[in-house]
Amino acid sequence: MKPPPPFYQPLKSGHVSIVWPALPTPDAARMAAVLMQFEQSQWWTPDELLALQLHQANALLHHAYRQVPFHRERLAQAGFVPGKALTPAVWSRIPLLTRAELQEAGTALNCPEVPKDHGSIYEISSSGSTGRPVKARGTQLMQSMWDAISLREHGWHRRDFSLKLAAIRAVADGVADYPEGGQGAGWGRATEGVFKTGSSAVLTVASRTDEQAEWLQRVQPHYLLIYPSALRDLLLYCRDKDIVLPTLREVRTLSELLPPETRELCREVWGVRIADMYSTQENGYLALQCPAHEHYHVQAESVLLEVLNDAGEPCAPGEVGQVVVTSLLNFAMPMIRYAVGDLAEVGAPCPCGRGLPVLTRILGRVRDMLAYPDGRKGWALFGDMYYQQIPAIRQFQVVQHAVDDIEIKIVADRRLTGIEEAKLAQWLHQRSGHAFPVRVTYHQEIPRSAAGKYQDFRSAMPGV
Amino acid sequence: MRRQDYQPLLSADPNVVWPGLPAPTAALRMALVRQLDASQWWPAAELRTAQLRQAAVLLRHAYRQVPFYRTRLAQAGFVPDKGLTPAVWSRIPPLTRAELQAAGAALYSPALPKDHGRTYELSSSGSTGQVVTVRGTRLAQMFWDALTLREHLWHRRDFTGSMAAIRPFPAGAADYPAGARYPSWGRSMDGLFATGHSAMLSVISSPAEQADWLQRVRPDYLLTYPSALNDLLLYCRDRGIAVPGLREVRTLSELLPPETRALCREVWGLKIVDLYSTQENGYLAFQCPQQEGHYHIQAETALVEVLDDDGRACGPGGVGRVAVTSLHNFAMPLIRYLVGDLAEVGPPCPCGRGLPVLSRILGRVRNTLSYPDGRRGWPLMGDIYHAGVGGIRQYQIIQHTLQDVEIRLATEHSLGAAEEAKLRAWLHDRAGYPFTVSFSYPAEIPRGPGGKFETFRSEVVV
Repeated sequence: MKPPPPFYQPLKSGHVSIVWPALPTPDAARMAAVLMQFEQSQWWTPDELLALQLHQANALLHHAYRQVPFHRERLAQAGFVPGKALTPAVWSRIPLLTRAELQEAGTALNCPEVPKDHGSIYEISSSGSTGRPVKARGTQLMQSMWDAISLREHGWHRRDFSLKLAAIRAVADGVADYPEGGQGAGWGRATEGVFKTGSSAVLTVASRTDEQAEWLQRVQPHYLLIYPSALRDLLLYCRDKDIVLPTLREVRTLSELLPPETRELCREVWGVRIADMYSTQENGYLALQCPAHEHYHVQAESVLLEVLNDAGEPCAPGEVGQVVVTSLLNFAMPMIRYAVGDLAEVGAPCPCGRGLPVLTRILGRVRDMLAYPDGRKGWALFGDMYYQQIPAIRQFQVVQHAVDDIEIKIVADRRLTGIEEAKLAQWLHQRSGHAFPVRVTYHQEIPRSAAGKYQDFRSAMPGV
Repeated sequence: MRRQDYQPLLSADPNVVWPGLPAPTAALRMALVRQLDASQWWPAAELRTAQLRQAAVLLRHAYRQVPFYRTRLAQAGFVPDKGLTPAVWSRIPPLTRAELQAAGAALYSPALPKDHGRTYELSSSGSTGQVVTVRGTRLAQMFWDALTLREHLWHRRDFTGSMAAIRPFPAGAADYPAGARYPSWGRSMDGLFATGHSAMLSVISSPAEQADWLQRVRPDYLLTYPSALNDLLLYCRDRGIAVPGLREVRTLSELLPPETRALCREVWGLKIVDLYSTQENGYLAFQCPQQEGHYHIQAETALVEVLDDDGRACGPGGVGRVAVTSLHNFAMPLIRYLVGDLAEVGPPCPCGRGLPVLSRILGRVRNTLSYPDGRRGWPLMGDIYHAGVGGIRQYQIIQHTLQDVEIRLATEHSLGAAEEAKLRAWLHDRAGYPFTVSFSYPAEIPRGPGGKFETFRSEVVV
């Protein structure tokens, strides 16, 4: 019987005399070989996947043990013996690496020697909301693995590479400013040299919502990549002004929490679906939205992702826990069982048949938990319901200053009425399950964090 | 839907065990296989369009490099910087074996695009003793390696199993009783998949020796020539010899008679997977994984046409001469080369693959029976073993003239007049014409050049 046709675009040929079948360049050929394995491995059972993850993790641990004293000690204590198979029991005894430990250790986590096939090494610095940056290192090899996952993501969502892609995201000043934005001949690094694509356009996310809407109407993209918060603002703006984007087929989001309400809003205003991606700067793609559902599949070929409860045990389907990630190919600065600071909910096996583990919800940063007077902490799941009730609100952010002081910052067309402010407080009480004292403040704009991210809840409590 | 066609690839990087990061040449081969996975389902028209795109590059090269072709191509209306249309293509005169022999090195391209790798030369001698020398490249071989891999994947072979091959090897390389051993299945798998070992034995060995060797080697898969297989199966049937563990038999290089398929089921309970290839052009068609009687043309590397006597493409059910263009051989372009075989065009395959179908490969033109009225036929002679005469070890039928046919027999005892009469009647029945039949009894009937064996050969000049 004929299987469903594989997602396929003609590979680019690296030889002028061979146009079909394409004979790609060595890098593109390797990419194709990796993609082909992805096509298979996504259907493996979770047990089969875990066995291979541990196989690869063993190689990583072996390297970390020899290269990094910090890891050697921790691994030895967990019972890891280089040269022996890595068991799930040993793995589960390896202590989690916290963000604080990572900051503390600094360059002590760098490997003095990196296997030469892993290519050049780069450094990234991600600044959290506390302003204290985390420095991480990565390799060209990791980036090419991320490129492969990026191509997998296009494949899952069956995008047409011949069409136009627009991105509204954080870019350096002057590179993609309004009104021109920046132009790309192709869709970017992942597709370059592998597949022929249409063009792309990019605009800085620092532009205003009305500018973004105007730019998009000129650019007429088929796909739009954007941050969830900027998308929400844009959708609200377009709803009010009846702006449609007739060519648009799909919106892709990344980098921040995507509230379910934004998915609905996107369908309502533009009539298109959102495909969301869960990634971090240090570890690349962690999970991608299932092609058939609105939950996420862990990218098990690149990361070993665990969701652990307070006791450090794996969460069962339906449970929420902290996200712990091991990038299996980072031999420049191994981060073993790194608690990235996010919370996620584990899902049941996906009906699509893929064995890649499922996350039903990604709940955002651990550090932005709501503190209750009784010492409890809870996830501040405010969502976006407010905009349907009070259309004058353009933007909002909830900031907790103390257990008895919550500020709701508002950017609005006008001052809200007393009844509307009371509605807001009521909404917050309902969502949090506690009658926090609430004050509403008005602003011209609510700035993004240094990394261009926008948070709808921020904890400003001392010591959190 | 869960599909598990592949195992994880081997990694050239000891630090990256999964997903495998293959070495460059292996990755390239895999990138080809991955494209083949997709293109096999394309509609025939889409495949033909892609073939003509590649053929246009080949023709442009041939036009500039090889004067022999420049004239022919220009006459057909080919303009190097224009696209290649089906109409222009069909006007290019087919290249006969005689023309190939006459032209010789004049068909070599003095220059090659870079990256096509080393060239090699290969001589194939037909039954007439005329040698044809062709030149190929490492790059063309890489495409064949990718096809080898495709064929394994089509038939879902277990790579951990062992592979035995009984075929021609240089004297001393794989002689009975030891044969030879290689740690993997060969070049197509290297650097991509871990495989079991392979074992080789020269096809010059006797059926008794082959049977003994196979029982020692106990392979999971056996690759051999149809004629050798037939002899081996008869030997094993008579002595009740089984090859435990054997899962499948693969045949190549000669015509596979349907009787041998039946015999293989009867004696070993196994199916045969046949491959159609020529030395000059590599793989031309593979047996469909779903339809035993269908051969899928390997359209990604070979533009295979079946042409009627007027040079037009045959439709389904039509029998004609096989013309092949190797799309990636730039060292010695063979454009619309008449390989000397006849084949029957099949209908679109129910398996859904768009790769064109050959429903029968009828063998060499020189293996057709000629009738006095000018007709030609393809007698299915293989069931001589069922003609009611025992003790036949080997046979060969030779047509000397339009009236005279010789039956050569290697037998355990000479046949009496009654038995000869039975065989004569059998031949008349099979051929549908009362040829004059003579008999000869050589001790053994040797293989032809290249280790091939022809059960029927015509010496009538057509």
